[in-house]
This record gives sequence, structure tokens and C-alpha cells, in this order.
Amino acid sequence: MATANPIPDDSSTAEHTTADLGVFVAAMAPDQFKEVLANLEAAFSIERIVVATPNDLPADVTTRLKIVATPQSSSLWTLKPSDFIAAAQSGLEQGARAILILGPGAESLRPSALRSLAEATFASSIDLVVPNYSIPPHAGLFNSAILYPLTRAVFASRVRFPLPIDLCLSSRMAERLADAAQRIPASSPGESLLWPVNEAVAGGFTVDEVDVGARAIPQPSDQDTNSVLISIMGSLFADIEAKAALWQRPRRAQPTRRTEQEVEISDGTADVTRMVAAFRLAADNLQEIWSLVLPPNSLLMLKRCSVLNSAEFRMPDNLWARIVFDFVIAYRLRTINRGHLLGALIPLYLAWAAGHINTIASGTPAERHIEAVAAAFEADKSYLVARWRWPDRFNS
Amino acid sequence: MKKIASAADPLWYKDAIIYELHVRAFADSNNDGIGDFPGLLTKVDYLKDLGVTCIWLLPFFPSPLRDDGYDISNYTDVNPSYGTLDDFKAFLDAAHQSGMQVMIELVVNHTSDQHPWFKAARLAAPGSPERDRYVWSDTDDKYKGARVIFTDTEKSNWTWDDTAKAYYWHRFFSHQPDLNYDNPLVREEVLNAMRFWLDMGVDALRIDAIPYLCERDGTSCENLPETHAMVKRLRAAIDADYGNRLILAEANQWPADVRPYFGDGDECHMAFHFPLMPRIYMALRQEDRQPIIDIMAQTPPIPDNCQWGLFLRNHDELTLEMVTDDERDYMYFAYSADPRMRINVGIRRRLAPLVDNNRRRIELLNSLLLSFPGTPILYYGDEIGMGDNIYLGDRNGVRTPMQWTSDRNAGFSKCDPARLYFPVVMDPIYGYQAVNVEAQLSDQSSLLHWTRNMIALRKLFRVFGRGTLTFLNATNRKILAYLRELDQGDGFCETVLCVANLSRFAQPVSLDLANYAGYQPVEMLGYVPFPPIGREPYALTLAPYTFFWLELQAAIPEEESASELSTQIPRSAAGSTPAVSRPDTEV
Repeated sequence: MATANPIPDDSSTAEHTTADLGVFVAAMAPDQFKEVLANLEAAFSIERIVVATPNDLPADVTTRLKIVATPQSSSLWTLKPSDFIAAAQSGLEQGARAILILGPGAESLRPSALRSLAEATFASSIDLVVPNYSIPPHAGLFNSAILYPLTRAVFASRVRFPLPIDLCLSSRMAERLADAAQRIPASSPGESLLWPVNEAVAGGFTVDEVDVGARAIPQPSDQDTNSVLISIMGSLFADIEAKAALWQRPRRAQPTRRTEQEVEISDGTADVTRMVAAFRLAADNLQEIWSLVLPPNSLLMLKRCSVLNSAEFRMPDNLWARIVFDFVIAYRLRTINRGHLLGALIPLYLAWAAGHINTIASGTPAERHIEAVAAAFEADKSYLVARWRWPDRFNS
Repeated sequence: MKKIASAADPLWYKDAIIYELHVRAFADSNNDGIGDFPGLLTKVDYLKDLGVTCIWLLPFFPSPLRDDGYDISNYTDVNPSYGTLDDFKAFLDAAHQSGMQVMIELVVNHTSDQHPWFKAARLAAPGSPERDRYVWSDTDDKYKGARVIFTDTEKSNWTWDDTAKAYYWHRFFSHQPDLNYDNPLVREEVLNAMRFWLDMGVDALRIDAIPYLCERDGTSCENLPETHAMVKRLRAAIDADYGNRLILAEANQWPADVRPYFGDGDECHMAFHFPLMPRIYMALRQEDRQPIIDIMAQTPPIPDNCQWGLFLRNHDELTLEMVTDDERDYMYFAYSADPRMRINVGIRRRLAPLVDNNRRRIELLNSLLLSFPGTPILYYGDEIGMGDNIYLGDRNGVRTPMQWTSDRNAGFSKCDPARLYFPVVMDPIYGYQAVNVEAQLSDQSSLLHWTRNMIALRKLFRVFGRGTLTFLNATNRKILAYLRELDQGDGFCETVLCVANLSRFAQPVSLDLANYAGYQPVEMLGYVPFPPIGREPYALTLAPYTFFWLELQAAIPEEESASELSTQIPRSAAGSTPAVSRPDTEV
């Protein structure tokens, strides 16, 4: 984990920089912000830190940290493109050599975690440092099912959380992300997330991952989980479409995977029966849409899955990989309305999640299964490339 | 007010896919039987979906239309039949918003005899600036070295004008008097016309008939130093005031004679490679790559910021000016059995009829177009395999209305069919009922889908527009094999091996790829890995008229396997902070 070595104080550049580290703290409740400030002070006792944030400094708080106000962010559960712009601007103004971005819920990150994020940038000149969170086995399923394996296969990135809530950037990486954020049209609310890892790969920047332990994962206030998931998927699929010429080049995966974090066993309250029921209902009602997107073999395998009982329910890893790839293709081809398309993927995701929970319950460690799924995505990348280049639906 | 360039990359034309169309032929919005800009506006999405990045418009200026708009009577307006200047601007904006550039014609070798300049010149005193806007002579003896281009209709490059009581010079039709570039007034007017459109935001200008701008006695009146001097002036004016624009030279000349039109990167950005085009057809018919190899061997290197424009067909006849007499005769025998198919020194047929509507041949020729070094230019309608009408006069047989649907008038117009500017093609093979965009959009196996996929594939790889070309001269001359390579400068090198079977029968070939030993060819359309390359000749077999695009991928050094997992994930962590959210709703 984090070392005790201080971040090198490069006095030769002291007259040129105002801050060693720029920190952007996203909007959060006052008590959470207070705890973040305390953790930052503990993590960076001798460094010059400037904190840019839309949060007001609570009246009862005194801090040695310099606080700079930024415009309010529009989201309280994830980082928005405007956050990256604000972070880069602030970092540039302060002459910071690195910029640490802390998203909602960051008060749960220990000082050692904050330090390890920043140190990788300083010590190794890594452009983008992303955290590997310790989360319970039933947590972050959407990331495990789609975001991680898809990003790993497409962009050859082994970052476990490709849509991080916290990250540390070099100044040039921050500029790159700010430029990318400014190019996102305001008229595309469904595609308004930034994918830092994808941008780093596209720009040839170095990426590394550090273990930060457990973290509170903020949840969207929007009770319609489906629309949130659709929004995230749409954003990622659009990013994949935009970077098609890049990810079809062969490349070596980075970074090297680290050892897994200790995780707490959670009994969980996952309702597998409800997930499987949702899948079976969709198998009846969404067959027409699925048949526009999926080839016959996949439809046949889904039909076989639909007759499994809840306790035995599993979705084969390679089937899931093909399903996600075919939906990415259909998204690109605009086979049907994109909103309807992504909505039709949700029951399939629930089916995968049910199978994953059953797999864990049978004794397989969660991370082991997730890595197997990611490996299945990697192994079948040629299918994605081939169908991307020749989207002929007369396939198996 | 000047509009800035719509293209961000100064070399945007190297990666472009250019689509040539005539406003008149594309879509009619007001049902007068003539295509117009509002109609074209409704088809911008179609072009964007096809993958087009630059739309080339044939002349749309005011004109008596005796040469399909190349006889211009006003350089700074729009023919009312096609709409207004505002309609053009609306189209231009729509194209830019869809990420496409727009190229228009700069027909400045000549004007219509109905242009106010010529009308004034005829009446002006000899020697006056107004008179000298054109090239006059008391006799028709000057410039004897200049050939007649429109041999079917013109017997001389001079025509007597009774009003002016003098001969005037014209390299094309007699109703198209040549402008006199020795007159500073003319040079300034041409620059003004150019600026008018560039200020509006037009991205590119095709300079029609560029070799013939200037004339001198005792010469062929083609490619003169004075002509190049004028081109340099045009280019300098563009570079001084406009960013990321393009001038494209229409110079139907031997490659060595076209080369000077690039200058030292200070004349035209692009030029058509005319001589290559008939040789592609020759190679196909003869099942022998040699005509292509020969002409490419004669093609000199061009400046790094310049580009060849490649095409299979266009609005003119398939020109046979830049071939030998024997080659011309062969092409007439091979591709125009009916004399009605011939005009001037060429063949007036579309792509599909030229190759007997054979789908494989069409695909093969398009594969060459999309993989040879240069920027491909597609002629409207060839993406659906449109046919032609050789019974229409001049070159009008290849300028029939675009075939959108099987409805009345091919969906081009709702007017009375008799009112169409030209009849739609309606024969049993190429007729609009069978060959149209709507039908092909719903047919996944159609030529339209194939063309769209191939364009998309080409756009994934910059090597096609920017890379080098090296022929692999295998023993089997029916196989055309070549390497395209591009060092991207970021650690990646794109290398593509293109192999085409010019024969109607299956062919074997062995290629010397020893320099790439250890590389793995990956077939690009289906992303299929082929056997790795060794020191021995690499054997391939190709079905009739097929082609391979094989990306040569260097082996990536092995590292830890991606499927290796860390072992023994600990199951307990007393005292660690629990996650706060419900497991089945977390993202």
C-alpha cells in the first residue's frame, strides 16, 4: 500500500509552480467534504495542495489547504465532463504537476489511498492513475459484466474500474481530458460521460492502477436504474464507435494486473429469482428486438438458458461476450432506436448477474469469475472486429 | 465575411472519399423535372451514411447549358433551375454540419459566348481591355500546334465571329470562347470569382481544363510555363487568405506532364490520374496487370502535401486520349462494340455496363480504386450499379437521374415523366424498377451495402490515402499484388498487402514476402488470421475476380497471460469499511 516517503520537493521548480498537487473535489454534503479535507491534510502533510471544489467550506472548519471555488457540477454520483474541465483549468492556473480528482463519496478513502494515487504520478510519471476499489462480491456488477470486460477487450486496458470516481492525472493528461470533455456536445445527454482510460489509450498515455481499499460507492438519485445503466452503456458504446480506427490495431494490454484486495464477504440481498424472471419475461417480449441484433446461435443459447431454474441459472461467458459485442455493433449500425436497443440489453445483463451470483454462491471467488468473463471477451475480440468491418447479418 | 475552413486537417483530402454528382441529376424538390439544391439537401444524410467525406458538384452556375453547365455565363450565382445562392449556402452548411467538405468547379479556361464579358468583347474595339478578355486573331493560322479536343463536333479551334469581324479561340465547343490570361483583367476576375466561393466556405475547387489556360505560337498550347504561373497565382491567393482548402487539377495528360501541376507543393494540391483509369479496364479485359504496372512506373513522385485523384468513371466519356493508338483500338473493341457508345476520343458508358454488370468485376475494380495510392472519387449512381442510355446525345447517357426508388421517375421527381430533364434509365437490367437505392438499402447483400462497408473499412486505415506503394511482381501476371505501407510516427506502422485476381478463373500466386518473415497476415474484411509469413514464397489462391486486403501484423511479444488470475482471494477482512449500497442496484 502507500509508503511513507514524501513526494519529492523539487525546489528547483518552486519558483515556477504554485502547487505540488491540484485536487478537485466533486460536489458532496458538507460533512463529507469536511472529512475529505481532513484526509487530504493527513495524506499530504508537507506538500502544497490547492483544492478546487464547488463545495462551500463549512463554517466550523479551518484548514491549511488553499480552497478555490469552481462551478457546481450537475451530477452527485459520478464525474461529469465539466468536472474534468474544472479540474484541468484549476490545475493549470495553479501550475500543479499533478491533479487528483475525488468524486462523490471520496470521504471514505483513507489518507493512505489518496497518497498512493498521487505518488504513482509523481514517482513514476504515470499520466493516469486509477484506483482499484475493494468492493463486496455482489457490488459493482454492471462494471464487472460490461464496462470492465468490454474496455479490456476493446482498448487492451486491464483497469478494473474504467469509469473511476477518483483518479490522478498528469497535467498533460488533464489537458487531454479537458479537450475531450469540451468536444462532448451538450445536446447529447445520453452520451455525456468521459472515459479517461479510453482517452489515455487513444492518446498513447501511460496508465496505472493502485489498490485503494474499500470506498463508498455513491448511487444515482434517479430511481430509474435502467435509464442510468442505459446512459452509461450508450456513452461507452459511442466512445467505442468514435475510436474505431484505434482499437482495431493490435496492442499490448496495460497495466499489469495487481493482486486482489481483501474483500468482505457479504450475504447480499441479491434476488436471483427476480432477475431470472425478468430475463424470462424479456425472452418472450423482446424476442423481435433480440433477433434483429443477435445471430441464431446466440438466440438458441438464450432459449436454452430461459428454461433453467433460478438456482442453476448460468449464462456461458462466451455467450455473454458475443451478446455485448453484437449490441455494440447494433448500436453503431442504428439497427433500431438506440434507447430501445440498450433497454433490450438490460434483461440480458440481469441474466448474467443472476448467473454470476449463482457462481459465487457455488464457491467460485467473484474476481475469478469476472476475470474469466473478461478473458472470454478478449478471446473473442476478433468476432467484434470482423462484424464491425463487415456487418453482414448472414452469420451463425 | 469570410468563413473559416470546415476541415481541421490541412491534408484532409488525403483521407477523403469524394463523390461526384450533378445537382441537376440528384433530386428534384419542386417537381419541375430538374434536380435542385433543396432536393440535394434532402440527400445529405444518404451521402453521409455512404461514407462520403467530400461532395464534388458539377457546374451549377448560370449557363445556356449547351455543355451541361461548363459554358458559364455568370461565375458568381446559381442557375435558377437549381435554386438560389441561399439554397446553395443551406446545402453547404448542411454538408459541413455532417462532416463533409464541398468541392465546386472553377471553369476558367473559357466562358459561354452568352457571358456578358464575351458579349462586350465582340463589340469592343480591337486591342481594348474588354476585347482582350478573349483570344482574337485576324486569321486562323495561329497556334497550329494545338490539337482539337472535341473532334466529333469541332473542326478547328478557331471560329469566325461576324460581329467582331475576327476569329476567336476555343479549345472546346465553339460556343465556349477561351479567356485570355495574358490580360491582367482576366486574371483578376478569375481570382475574384474564386474568392467569392471560398469566402462562402467552399472547401475545394476543381480547375477545369487547366492545361489549356494559356497559348503560345509554335507550341501545343498545353502545359505552358505561363499556365503554371497562373496556377501558382491562384494557389498563392488561396494560401494567403484561406486555410485548409484544395485545388484539384483536371489535366488529362501523361503523368510526367501532370506532375508540374503540383509544382513544389505550390500549385495544385491534387490532380486526376487520367492515364491510370483506362489501363485498369485494359488490365481487366486482358487479364494482365502490365498496363497498370507500366503506367504506375511512369508516374513520378509528387510532393508530400499533394495527392492523386483516382476514379473509375466520371461525367465525361471514358477518355482514351492518353493511350497509344493500338490501345485505343483495343479499348473500343473491348468496351464499345456499338459505335454509339463512342464519343470524341472515348467511351460514354457507366461502370456497370462497361463490365457487363458483373458484380465481381465491379467489386474488383472498386477494390483497386479504394486501395491504390490516391484519393478515390466515386461517380454518383455507381454505388448502386446504375446503367446508362447511349441513345442520349453527347455524354448525357451517363448523366441520367439518380435512381432512388422504384416509384415514378425513380423517386427523383414527382413531375410528369415527359418533363424530366433526361429520361430515367428503364431497361430490364439497369432500369430504376430493379436498380435503386431503396431496394438496395433493404438488401444486405447489395452493391450499395458492399460499397458502404468497403468505404468504412478504407477509412479505418490511413495507409490507403497516405502510404507508399510497392508492387510485388509475381510470376503470374493475372495477379496484381502490391504493398501499402505507412509509418504513423507514433510507434505504429500500417502495412497492407493487396492482392487482386484480374482473371475470370481461379488463380494461384506465390509472393516473395521474406522481408516480412514472422508477420501474420490478417484478412481485413473479416479479420481472419492467415498463416504466418516465412522465408519461403507465400502461396495464395484467389477465386475469379477476387481480392485480398491483408494487414501484416507484427507479432506482439508474449507477456503474462491475460487469463492468469491471482490465487486465493482472501475471504475475510475484519474492520474494513463496508459498501453502503444495495448489491443488486449498484452499477
